[in-house]
Amino acid sequence: MTSPTLSVKRISFQKYGIIIAFLALCALVSAICQIKVMQGVWPVNVFLTVNNLMLILHQISVNGILAVGMTFVVISAGIDLSVGSVLAFSGMMAASFATRSTGVTPWSGVYFVAFPLLAALFTGALCGLVNGLIVSRFRIQPFIATLGMLLAARGLTMAVTGGNPISALSPEFRWFGTGRIFDTLPVPVVFLAIVFALAWVLLNKTVFGRYVYAVGGNEKSARTSGVNTTSVLTWTYIFAGFLSGVAGIILTAKTGSAQTSAGTSYELDAIAAVVIGGASLAGGVGRLTGTFFGALIIGVMNNGLDILGVESFYQSIIKGALIVLAVIIDSRRQA
Amino acid sequence: MRLKLIGASLTLASSLMLSAAVAQADPVRVAFLMYGNKAEFVQLMERYAKEHPAVVSGDVILTMYDGRYDASVQNDQGQMAVNTMQDAIVINPMDYEANIDVVTMANDAGIPIVVTNARLNTTEMTSEVVSDDVQGGYLEAKAVMEKLGCKGNVVIIEGPKGGSGEIQRGEGNMKAIGECPEGQVTVLERKTANWSRAEALDLMQNWLSKHPGQINGVIGQNDEMALGAIEAIKSANLDVHDFAIAGVDGVTDALRAVKAGEMTSILQDARGQAQGSIDVALRAVKGADYQPESEIWAQYAGELSWDDGQAKRYDIPWTIVSNDNVDELLKDRK
Amino acid sequence: MDTPRLSMRSIQKRFGGVKALTDGNLTLRSGEVHALCGGNGAGKSTILSILMGFYKPDSGVIEIDGEAKSFNSAHEALEAGIAIVQQELSGVPQLTVAENIYLGSEPRRRGFIDFDTLNRNAEELLNRLGFDIDPRATLGDLAVATQQLVEIAKALSHSNANILIFDEPTSALGEKDTQRLFEVIRELAANGKAIAYVTHRLQEVFTIANAYTVFKDGETVIEGKVEGLTREMLIESMIGGSLGTEFVKDNVPAPATLFEVKNLTRAPYFRDVSFQLHGNEILGIYGLVGSGRSELLDTLYGLEIADSGDVQIEGRPLTPGDVDGAIRSGIAYVTEDRARSGLVLKASVGANLALSNLRFINSFGMVQERKERECVDLAIRQMHIRTPGPEEIVSNLSGGNQQKVVLGRCMAVGPKVLLLDEPTRGVDVGAKKDIYRLISEFTVGGGAALMISSDLEEIIGMCDRILVLRSGEIVEEFKHEATTQKDLMMAAI
Repeated sequence: MTSPTLSVKRISFQKYGIIIAFLALCALVSAICQIKVMQGVWPVNVFLTVNNLMLILHQISVNGILAVGMTFVVISAGIDLSVGSVLAFSGMMAASFATRSTGVTPWSGVYFVAFPLLAALFTGALCGLVNGLIVSRFRIQPFIATLGMLLAARGLTMAVTGGNPISALSPEFRWFGTGRIFDTLPVPVVFLAIVFALAWVLLNKTVFGRYVYAVGGNEKSARTSGVNTTSVLTWTYIFAGFLSGVAGIILTAKTGSAQTSAGTSYELDAIAAVVIGGASLAGGVGRLTGTFFGALIIGVMNNGLDILGVESFYQSIIKGALIVLAVIIDSRRQA
Repeated sequence: MRLKLIGASLTLASSLMLSAAVAQADPVRVAFLMYGNKAEFVQLMERYAKEHPAVVSGDVILTMYDGRYDASVQNDQGQMAVNTMQDAIVINPMDYEANIDVVTMANDAGIPIVVTNARLNTTEMTSEVVSDDVQGGYLEAKAVMEKLGCKGNVVIIEGPKGGSGEIQRGEGNMKAIGECPEGQVTVLERKTANWSRAEALDLMQNWLSKHPGQINGVIGQNDEMALGAIEAIKSANLDVHDFAIAGVDGVTDALRAVKAGEMTSILQDARGQAQGSIDVALRAVKGADYQPESEIWAQYAGELSWDDGQAKRYDIPWTIVSNDNVDELLKDRK
Repeated sequence: MDTPRLSMRSIQKRFGGVKALTDGNLTLRSGEVHALCGGNGAGKSTILSILMGFYKPDSGVIEIDGEAKSFNSAHEALEAGIAIVQQELSGVPQLTVAENIYLGSEPRRRGFIDFDTLNRNAEELLNRLGFDIDPRATLGDLAVATQQLVEIAKALSHSNANILIFDEPTSALGEKDTQRLFEVIRELAANGKAIAYVTHRLQEVFTIANAYTVFKDGETVIEGKVEGLTREMLIESMIGGSLGTEFVKDNVPAPATLFEVKNLTRAPYFRDVSFQLHGNEILGIYGLVGSGRSELLDTLYGLEIADSGDVQIEGRPLTPGDVDGAIRSGIAYVTEDRARSGLVLKASVGANLALSNLRFINSFGMVQERKERECVDLAIRQMHIRTPGPEEIVSNLSGGNQQKVVLGRCMAVGPKVLLLDEPTRGVDVGAKKDIYRLISEFTVGGGAALMISSDLEEIIGMCDRILVLRSGEIVEEFKHEATTQKDLMMAAI
């Protein structure tokens, strides 16, 4: 038994701890930049500009969207290792409709926009459905089921084109990666915002969202409470797959090419964002705001370390340390 | 895309039937060990290997292996090639040191072994059919220096740290920069993007954010990363034509970018490497009577000589892709 | 015979707010088979767990051969000569008999297991015990009874094991194997071992034991020699002499049938179960662990599917295996183990209370948060749940309040029939009374409750009628007015 006051404190830390960590990281990078300015090395603090901050949002858009799906899966006490591969597969399917070399069609808008989007979203959701059915109906551990999909989707990506990339994508399609709304907001950032907003509503305001928490917290109790756990789990993986499709569209449109190696090991960054954001891999616990700041922390770190000119190996070391640190803090908080 | 697949399988099927029907005395069996199959360049090598006249006619039965980007997998596949009594082995190695085993195995079994595309740290192979990465790195940096008039700030996007590509192309990069008058060219940043377009895109964005208006040139140690830099420049609402950008390899997207005047690419000749190494391997199997069948020897007459197929090393020349030759090269990619 | 081999006196142990043992006493003598009797939760398993070093007692004395002892771990108890023959088969089926016997204390030579010595030692031990078992046989290939003998050999492999605990060793055995086991136990006693024997089968007390101790409500109520003891006396001491709990029961059953079960069968758990539940009625089901009682409720609720038979509520049949349908038809289920299948422990009180009701308080999948808050607040008030607020994580609550959260979740959907499996297990006296009051109010208000309980006093105090389930069949029905604890126990055993 913990005293009530203690537990209230705990909840507030859960809410704001990640934001404090994020601000601390920003302050640290910014301070180092400021020192360089004072030393006269740089004319201005390049980290703390509106453009650079917008850039960070732009850069986390793909990982952020994957991490949203991962958040649902992790809360349901699962894991989805296949998001990177499914991203590549969906991106490849989108590109196969969006490439100019496919030939000209009378309704180019439909052909270059609607078909690629539908193809990617459908592909992503379908991979998610397979993951979900294997996990919920055949009771295979999510790690194994999605490891299978990680390999299978990568293979399918290569099979679509015999291993070749698809490039020369139509400008209509590329708008999803390179366009700007009102000439300022990058489209991927808008997508990121929309995905987070809709997912937040889904997780916090709908019956489905409550059920995801319940199933992840205790599947047996959820079942005796009348929750159709099979269907909740299946839809959770479909959602994660669908968002991999969205991320696939954005990455492909951003780089202008669907590559067979796209998204390799992106699942790890997505899991890192979710874990740094305070979700527990044991399930039942996690928040989208946490995930958002988790993704931001990774983004700021990549951006900051590039700006500060830190070698890539140290980047990897720092990221690794951060993930473990986040989990240690989390487990102490729960102890 | 599907049509292409069907087409490919039809050619494959027909070549199989041909080889069965026309089979002369004894077709030569060649194992082609590729380090992986996910990049466009390796795909091209595979395609050109299969288009070698001797493969098409059925004189050669070619077995392709996918090393899955793992040196030990490739060593196992080398062993498998020896065990299945292939007549010759061509290897595009994953690792400069670890894959020397394949050369040793082949030599022990008395099978000719030709190394192509990448290098191995040994001289025991029958022959090497490669392109000199130092030269490639030199040519691309030279192109950037020429466009800048040897004046300005450049960034270098590197391959995976410690790999032979990064080391040798980097050496060539610095050689070209060093030919400029001292103090005129500054290397603002250099960092790896692991050959990846998406990583290079993020990296270049961050550099543009850090050095607003200061970067004049981008040296990508391969085309993919140069293309990532182009996307980053576009996403920052800057004009790509204000930058001098170059990459190495000559992948299709880079050829298109050259055509659009956005970059320079140094073509690494996948056909030269793939078909050249098959010719050298066949010479080793069939003996002095063998005459090379690939067109490449005629194409590079003057720059590259056959030398009776006995040279230890063949340097397949690089081609600087420009507006003059880009259309022709693009035509070949369809 | 003057100094007993083991003497435990005035042992006390509490878990959180629940007193598991208030005055536990146990005396074992060499050459004696001593039966431990008592209902579920009477304190037998707690005192044995203390003896084996799993728990430390809050107070009390443990003496072995007159010498005071205190165990900090199971290992220390083993060192002192205390060994247990596990109730469940706990061997590793893939290993051989010899490997199982010496698991964890294998003879070694240069860091490797010395299999020759291992097998020789096992063979000697088995011969000494008179067990005809090949030490090289794989455990999983042997009959269940033989595996049980291997467990005994394992317990005796510690050469100084002088105190042996048998925890319901015959539950998995047939008649013939039971006899064989008894012979072994008698031999062991004749060789000077002191044996504690736990059983629910009263007949065995008379067959095997010389002495007995009865536990009730965490106390030793009586101990003595089996000689001269009768079955009736034993049952009376297991039941009687307890402090009365105050039950709350204001309902009066209506004549109309609300819920009906016809010829329900699900092999191997229960067969041909039929009964009717009337409006305003509390119907009890009494049966031992393993009688099929929990499986019956699982099936009524749709968590499991029956082989045959019908379940009807208000004359309409329920779809087998459809939990959602059962809830919509007005059935709610409080399961036996709230931590395992009743609550989402890491979620908040509010989230748990609303979980079953979400299906009713949403519009197009969006939770109607105002109604949700109302539902949660109402449940906290009605159930008297002591919590700092609806945001509190359930695992921080006491057992009694956790149980009220489970009841609150069930009541929130407005059920007509409440299925209750041990609704007051692990709950303190105050919370118990709250739960009785809730059940009473629910049935006064028109609902009907079907209640499983191992607590005889509770089931007689709360239920209008009581069905006795034995080995998956309903064997008797008692009326509330005309039943005693003795009748129930006689019927169930």
